[in-house]
Amino acid sequence: MKKILVLALTLALAPVLSFAGGPPAATQAGIESKDYKWNAQEGEKIEALKLKGTAKEGKEGYEVCGACHLPSGAGRTDGTFPQLAGQHTTVLIKQMADIRAGLRDNPTMYPFAKELTDAQELANVSAYIESLCIPIDHGRYEGADAAKQIADGKTMYEKECIECHKANGEGVKDKFYPVLAGQHYKYLLRQMTEIRDGKRRNANPDMVTIIKKYDNAQLVAISAYQSSLVMPGSMCKAGAAKPAKKK
Amino acid sequence: MKLKLFLAAGIATLASSAAMADGAALYAEKTCIACHGKEGKKPMIPAFPKIAGQNAAYIELQMRDIKSGARANGSSAAMKGVMVNPEGVELVTDKDIKDLALYLSKLK
Repeated sequence: MKKILVLALTLALAPVLSFAGGPPAATQAGIESKDYKWNAQEGEKIEALKLKGTAKEGKEGYEVCGACHLPSGAGRTDGTFPQLAGQHTTVLIKQMADIRAGLRDNPTMYPFAKELTDAQELANVSAYIESLCIPIDHGRYEGADAAKQIADGKTMYEKECIECHKANGEGVKDKFYPVLAGQHYKYLLRQMTEIRDGKRRNANPDMVTIIKKYDNAQLVAISAYQSSLVMPGSMCKAGAAKPAKKK
Repeated sequence: MKLKLFLAAGIATLASSAAMADGAALYAEKTCIACHGKEGKKPMIPAFPKIAGQNAAYIELQMRDIKSGARANGSSAAMKGVMVNPEGVELVTDKDIKDLALYLSKLK
């Protein structure tokens, strides 16, 4: 009898408890699961991908994003917030949908991903972000051995990363492979480490297979090289764009 | 005497308005504004608190606890992410916390 009462109470309280402190982040089985299928073409993502986004319309919606990612899209040089400007709409939409669905764990981004539910707005904001020039004052590898790290990283990058992320780090839009040029060194290193270690649960298993054999020191070199990449025609002109505020 | 008092009051006002400007800059720079809205009055969603005019001591305590992980309920995880980065690097210092708490407590 007592057991039943406790059970009934627990059941009654469960929904209350889970909503007590704001939106609990969702979780969905990702790469740790046997049934995981990368970039499954389902859910809200499809709708936003099909719609044509208008950059001009997305400018207003981006204002909220700009509080962390900055109006220029530059994010933070310390890698806390990624650089977004010039990123493919496909990548932006997929990552937003994945965070929202609980496939990519990011408690800070989650409340925002959860709010942006309108597929047309998501398409517009993504189009706006994609239209921005890539800032050139991003975080890079700053060690005294930068030249050597970049050279070592280049060798490794050209061996295995280049096929998908391309020579200038431009990625492949219709395959959801992100632009890497202009990204912060520390952000790149963190994401690669998390993808290798299975912590980024929406990762592409093909990439996990490739990256598994690289140790921390090698990932440092690869990130150093990636953050030195330049995409001709897509970068902001020196002095033209408002420099991202540092610290 | 009167002049002295007036001057002192003037300096105090200047100092406090400078502190308010610093607080407002910190509030934007540390990304508080994204969730709690302009001047802590317009949270993005109802589950986030309005913080304008809250007691400085209370704000300071909650911020410290969220930063250290002592408070981890509700949306604390979202806020912790802007206070300490995934590598454990401090993004909001204890001095920042004090300044932000004072700034927010003075907003009406």
